[in-house]
Amino acid sequence: MNTGFLVVKAGIHATLQDTGRFGFQHLGVTTGGALDAASALWANRLLDNAPECAVIEITAGGTELEVQTQTMIAVTGGDLNLTVNGRPQAPWRSFWVRQGDRLKFGYPRYGFRAYVAVQSGFNVPSVLGSVSTVKRERLGGLHGEGSPLADGDFLPCKHLAKEGLARQIPEQYLPDCQGDLVLDLIPGYQQQSFSKQAWSQVWNQSFELSTDSDSMGARLKGDAIEVPAGQLWSEGIAYGAVQVPGDGQPIILLTQRQTLGGYPKLGTILPLSGYALAQRQPGTKLRFRPMTLTSAQQQMRRFLRFFGL
Amino acid sequence: MKRPSPEFMIAGVDAVLVKFGDNMNDALPAYLALFRDQVLSELAGVVTEVVPSYMTALVYYDARQIRMYDLEQWLERIAKATPWPADRKRELRTLEVPVCYGGEFGPDLERVAQQANLSTAAVIEKHVSAEYRVAALGFAPGFAYLSGLDESLATPRLSTPRKSIAAGSLGIAAQQTAVYPMAGPGGWNIIGQAVMTWFNPAQEPMTPVEVGDCVVFKSVSEKEFQALMKQERAL
Repeated sequence: MNTGFLVVKAGIHATLQDTGRFGFQHLGVTTGGALDAASALWANRLLDNAPECAVIEITAGGTELEVQTQTMIAVTGGDLNLTVNGRPQAPWRSFWVRQGDRLKFGYPRYGFRAYVAVQSGFNVPSVLGSVSTVKRERLGGLHGEGSPLADGDFLPCKHLAKEGLARQIPEQYLPDCQGDLVLDLIPGYQQQSFSKQAWSQVWNQSFELSTDSDSMGARLKGDAIEVPAGQLWSEGIAYGAVQVPGDGQPIILLTQRQTLGGYPKLGTILPLSGYALAQRQPGTKLRFRPMTLTSAQQQMRRFLRFFGL
Repeated sequence: MKRPSPEFMIAGVDAVLVKFGDNMNDALPAYLALFRDQVLSELAGVVTEVVPSYMTALVYYDARQIRMYDLEQWLERIAKATPWPADRKRELRTLEVPVCYGGEFGPDLERVAQQANLSTAAVIEKHVSAEYRVAALGFAPGFAYLSGLDESLATPRLSTPRKSIAAGSLGIAAQQTAVYPMAGPGGWNIIGQAVMTWFNPAQEPMTPVEVGDCVVFKSVSEKEFQALMKQERAL
C-alpha cells in the first residue's frame, strides 16, 4: 500500500517546491522554487535530507493534511497556527507523526508561508530536473503539469520503522519572518539612468508591499519614482531584480519571474532579503539600503555553504 | 558591420549581463547562440546558464568559483574568439511554420492591413516572404521573439490586451512577430493561427528552435490547417 500524506484541504494556496528548475532559462522556462528558500532549506536540514528534497509551501494557511504513514516531518517558515490532532505545534522543529494524525494549518500568527518537509522527501517525479510547481508554465507539482495541491491529492513518501530524533533550531538561527523589512539592494548597471531625485526616493522613502504581489514578483506601492525611458529590447533578468515600470512603482522579481524583461532596473536585492520578503504579508512597510556586490556575495557564500549547496 | 565590443554589467549576486552594442543587428542572434555554446563549454562548472536576448547575454555564474573581474576577462576572450558573423560556423536550422491567416484565426489582420495601407493579401504576402531570426526565447516557454518583420507591418500592441488568446496565435507587436505557445492573455495583434508545438518538456529538443535559428511562415487554407492540426494532435 502507498504511504504518504492525504491533502484533506489544500487551503488558500499550497504547492510542491524545491530549490528550482535550472538550465532552461534560455528556452523561456523560469526557475520556480521555494519563495523563502531559507526556511525550505532549514526544513530539509532538520531531517538531514538533501537540500534539493521537495517540500510543501503553504501560503497564508488553511491547509489540512492527514498522515497515512509514520515518519518524521519538519515544519518551518511563518507560524500558521499549526495543530496536530487539535494540539498546537510550534514551527521550526522536527517531530514524529503517525497514521491518522491530522495536521491543520490555520492563519498566520506571524510570517506568511510555512514549509513542510518529510524524511527523505516526497516521492514525486520531477519535470526538467525539479518538482517546483509553476502553474503558468504547466510544469512541476504532483502531476507534473503545474497544478497547485488540491483537495484529495495524495503525496507519497517513505514509511519509517522507527521514530527519529526530534530537533529544533536554536533561537539565534531563526530567520527573520515578521515586522517592517529593510531590503539590501545592490545597485545595478542601469543605476545611472535613474535621476538623483529618484535615488534619493529609493533610499529614503518607505514602500508598502501590495496585495497584487505573487510568486512572479513582489509589487511595491509608494510615491512614484521618476522612471527613465524603457529599453526597446528585452534582456534576461535575474532573481531579485528591482524593475520600475512606467507607473514608478517598483516590482521585485522573484522565483517565478519571466526570464526576460525590458523595464529599467534599479539593481537586485540580496537573495536573503528576498527570502525574508516572501514571509511578509501585504501591507508590510519596506525600505531599501545599499549593499556592495562583494559583501552580498560573501553573505550568499556563507549561506550556500551552510546548507551544503 | 563590425562586431560590437562587449560591455559587462553587474546583474545580481550571481549574474553578469554582457551587452553587445545598443542596436539590434541581423548577425547578433546566431553570434550569441555560438557565444553561448562556447561559454558553457569553456566555463563549465563556473557558468551555470546563459540567456541570450537580442544584443545581450545574461551569464549566471557560481560566485564561489570565480570573481566577477576574472569572469569578465574570460568572457571577453571568448567573445573575441567567436566568429563574426557566426552563420557559416554554426549549422542553422530553418523551421517552416504553416499558418492559416485572417478570418476567425486572425482577428487583427484587417487592422494591420489598414494601418500599413495594404490589402490583407499583401500583408500575408509580406509576412510569408520574410525570413525571421529567433532573437530571444522568453515570456513563456518556447515563446520565440522573431526579428526581421517587414517594417511596413509594424503595428503597436493593443491598448487593452485580450484576456485570452488561443495557443498557436501568430501575433505582431511593433517590429516583432511571434506565436503564442500556450493559451493566455496577450496584447499582440493576432493575424493568424500556426500549426506547431513550440514547447514540449517531454520531447528532445523541447523547443523546435533556439536563439539564432531561422523561421519562415507558409500560408495554408483553412482545410489544410484543420488537416495539419489533426496530424499534430495525433503525434
